[in-house]
Amino acid sequence: MPEPIPVPEMTKRCGGFQMSVLAVRGLTKRFGDVLAVDDLGFAVQPGEIFGFLGGNGAGKTTTLRMVLDIIRPTSGAIEVFGRAPDRRNTGAIGFLPEERGLYSNMSAIEVIAYFGQLKRMTAADARAHGMELLTRFDLAGRAKAKISELSKGMAQKVQLATALVNRPQLLILDEPFSGLDPVNQGLLEEEILRAARGGAAVVFSTHVMQHAERLCQRLLLLRKGRKRFEGTPDEARAQLPSTIDAMAPPAIAELDGVARATERRKLENGLSEWTLDLAPGVSAGDVLQRASARGLPLRRFEERRATLHDVFVHLVGPDALEGESRA
Amino acid sequence: MTLRNIFLVARREFAQVVALKSFWLTLLLIPVALAIGPLLGDSLDDEEPTRVVVIDRAGGSAAAALAARFAFEQDRHALQALSRYVRRHKLERADPQAPWAKHDRWYTPADVMAFRAAGGLDAALARIERAKRADIPEFDRPAADYEIVAASGTLATAEGDALASQARRLVQASKEAPKAERADLVLLIGAGYPADPTVRVWAGDQPRASFVAGVQEVLTADLRHRMLVDSGLSPRQALAVQSAAPAIAVTTPPPGGGAREALLVRSIVPLALAYILMMGLMLSGSWMLQGAIEERSKKLLESVLACITPEELMYGKLLGALGIGLSMLTAWLGAAAVVAFATQGAIADVIRPALAPVTSPGAIVTLIYFFAMGYIAISIVFVAIGALADSMSEAQGYLMPVILAILLPVTFLIQAILAGNSGPLVQVLTWVPIWTPFTVLARLGTGISALEVIGAAVVLAAFVALEMILLARLFRQSLLAQGQKPGLKVLIERLRPVAN
Repeated sequence: MPEPIPVPEMTKRCGGFQMSVLAVRGLTKRFGDVLAVDDLGFAVQPGEIFGFLGGNGAGKTTTLRMVLDIIRPTSGAIEVFGRAPDRRNTGAIGFLPEERGLYSNMSAIEVIAYFGQLKRMTAADARAHGMELLTRFDLAGRAKAKISELSKGMAQKVQLATALVNRPQLLILDEPFSGLDPVNQGLLEEEILRAARGGAAVVFSTHVMQHAERLCQRLLLLRKGRKRFEGTPDEARAQLPSTIDAMAPPAIAELDGVARATERRKLENGLSEWTLDLAPGVSAGDVLQRASARGLPLRRFEERRATLHDVFVHLVGPDALEGESRA
Repeated sequence: MTLRNIFLVARREFAQVVALKSFWLTLLLIPVALAIGPLLGDSLDDEEPTRVVVIDRAGGSAAAALAARFAFEQDRHALQALSRYVRRHKLERADPQAPWAKHDRWYTPADVMAFRAAGGLDAALARIERAKRADIPEFDRPAADYEIVAASGTLATAEGDALASQARRLVQASKEAPKAERADLVLLIGAGYPADPTVRVWAGDQPRASFVAGVQEVLTADLRHRMLVDSGLSPRQALAVQSAAPAIAVTTPPPGGGAREALLVRSIVPLALAYILMMGLMLSGSWMLQGAIEERSKKLLESVLACITPEELMYGKLLGALGIGLSMLTAWLGAAAVVAFATQGAIADVIRPALAPVTSPGAIVTLIYFFAMGYIAISIVFVAIGALADSMSEAQGYLMPVILAILLPVTFLIQAILAGNSGPLVQVLTWVPIWTPFTVLARLGTGISALEVIGAAVVLAAFVALEMILLARLFRQSLLAQGQKPGLKVLIERLRPVAN
């Protein structure tokens, strides 16, 4: 598993203030009577990997389409590289849509070069960097093969290359891991980390918490178009109190800071197995200290921190995770 | 909106269509047809003369008269062909007094006799050869229509059923059989002739009308001659009576000329242009539609739209389609021009005057304008359909009424122009923008006033501008609306100017 990377020093500054690669304020989008995105705000810095989490229909794709100027907001403001989104930013943006496809009768290198040119590269530069990417993806030998002749996994790599060919400073990935085989999932994680190390801001939407947990430095949780949380993964996990698995006498259930104690199994010597839910703001260390002060014999004391999955279910609801098991 | 992006899309669209086998088949179809048409025509032409076995059991004079008649017709045919050749290449100076240098007549027996007396075709060609430039092609000798052959021994003497059976066997023999064992026609003049003037013909196929008429004319003349002699006229007087005939002077236009012929010939290229526009639109429209549907069905659109605007995508597609159309037009007209200037004979005679209406600068501008605008006006409809449909079968549902609406009136229009008609239908179609390009192009040969051309051009430009605005909205708003089959109400809503 690749190592998460630290947030790099912010390199872009403007008038003494750090300039976000992407900033969104009060963003709202309506489709007729349907409110798809509701007063959304966030910002993404250079070198940051930003997770955009939410269930199906949460408004992730709509938000990303507005950032890319494919659709326009009903109200609110978006700034990409300090200005309103338009195609002048194309050369600095890489985009991998959720629904993917390529021109089947073009060769791998042609299709990469075509997208490179659409992103304002010269034909020669697009082809040269396209070949570099294909080499990196172990596809150099199939550069001239038509897309229709490639396997699905190979085509996925070519698709990724079309997003990376212009060396983007903002990489937007909409459900990037969806439909990828495990090998290509690993490749994609490497490329996300590589882009961030190179100073690019990476925004990716997902409802697969494992990827977000592994890669994101900050994340945003959306539910029905509204932001439910924004912060680091640790801050997200802190949204839910820890639980403690303990082997202790019944008196442990009466300690201050224990909100609820569930006896799971009685043991000999007056001990039981307990699951303790802590009150908000109480840490496992506090409870351990109080247990020691009371002289309670502890055979086992193990803190279980909330996962992003738990946080997601708590904030967004279990229905939103439909499909996670498939991903 | 940047031109660079439009050209990039156009180039990709063009390359995608050019990579299709169907494009090359279509592109090569016309030149190949032009190239192999004459060859095919030559090979299909039955060069071998019709073999006629004549059995004359009444003394042989009737058979001799028939042979003389067919020889005469053959010489007249050669004389006419030679006259046409001489006129086409302006070779009259070779012998201004020769009948083949005089084109204003229907050649009489006297002309044919003079032609023969001067040495016939061989002598005429020898004289022409001396006056002919090196680049003038050789005269193509016309093949004989009929060959009179004598009956074989058994057939000459057979009677009744045996005769009929042998004659049938002869005319039904296959082409591969030796010449002596086959004939196309067997003609029997019975021993009772002229008292019994029945003439029997056995044929493998329906005999040509010209043959039957020829036989009838010759034998009628023979019978009348005999009757005149029997009634007291000398053979010479009888012959003079039979030979009395008016001299018919005929003035004909040069090859490819003439009022009706000229009208048709001048309309060939304009009509072909209208037809090419129609066919090109249908074909490139279908290719373009396939490309648009591939973009939708393979979820390509979002990737593309992240880089360029919907308008750039649409204009690029239109430009690509126009490029395909102009390529086909160039290839086809180029092939026609090559045929016109690299070939001689009847094809060149037709194609050269046919190109005349489209060679003036004004005509060329008109041609290019209406062809290009016609392409854009119709292609944009295909592009919009491509943005609406998720599959080819769904696209066909939208396409069928559009194609019928375009094709049916154009079919009637072409019929009307061919009939030399410039009545209300043609006038109305000139001013209805969706049919304007076809009509103006088709009318270039028959004549259309400059005012009408300019007026129709303005109306068409306004229509295309309106189309661009409305269908661009439809295109933009339909692109990402996948999986939704829009009803009429939704379609109308999409035509309205709204932000996404």
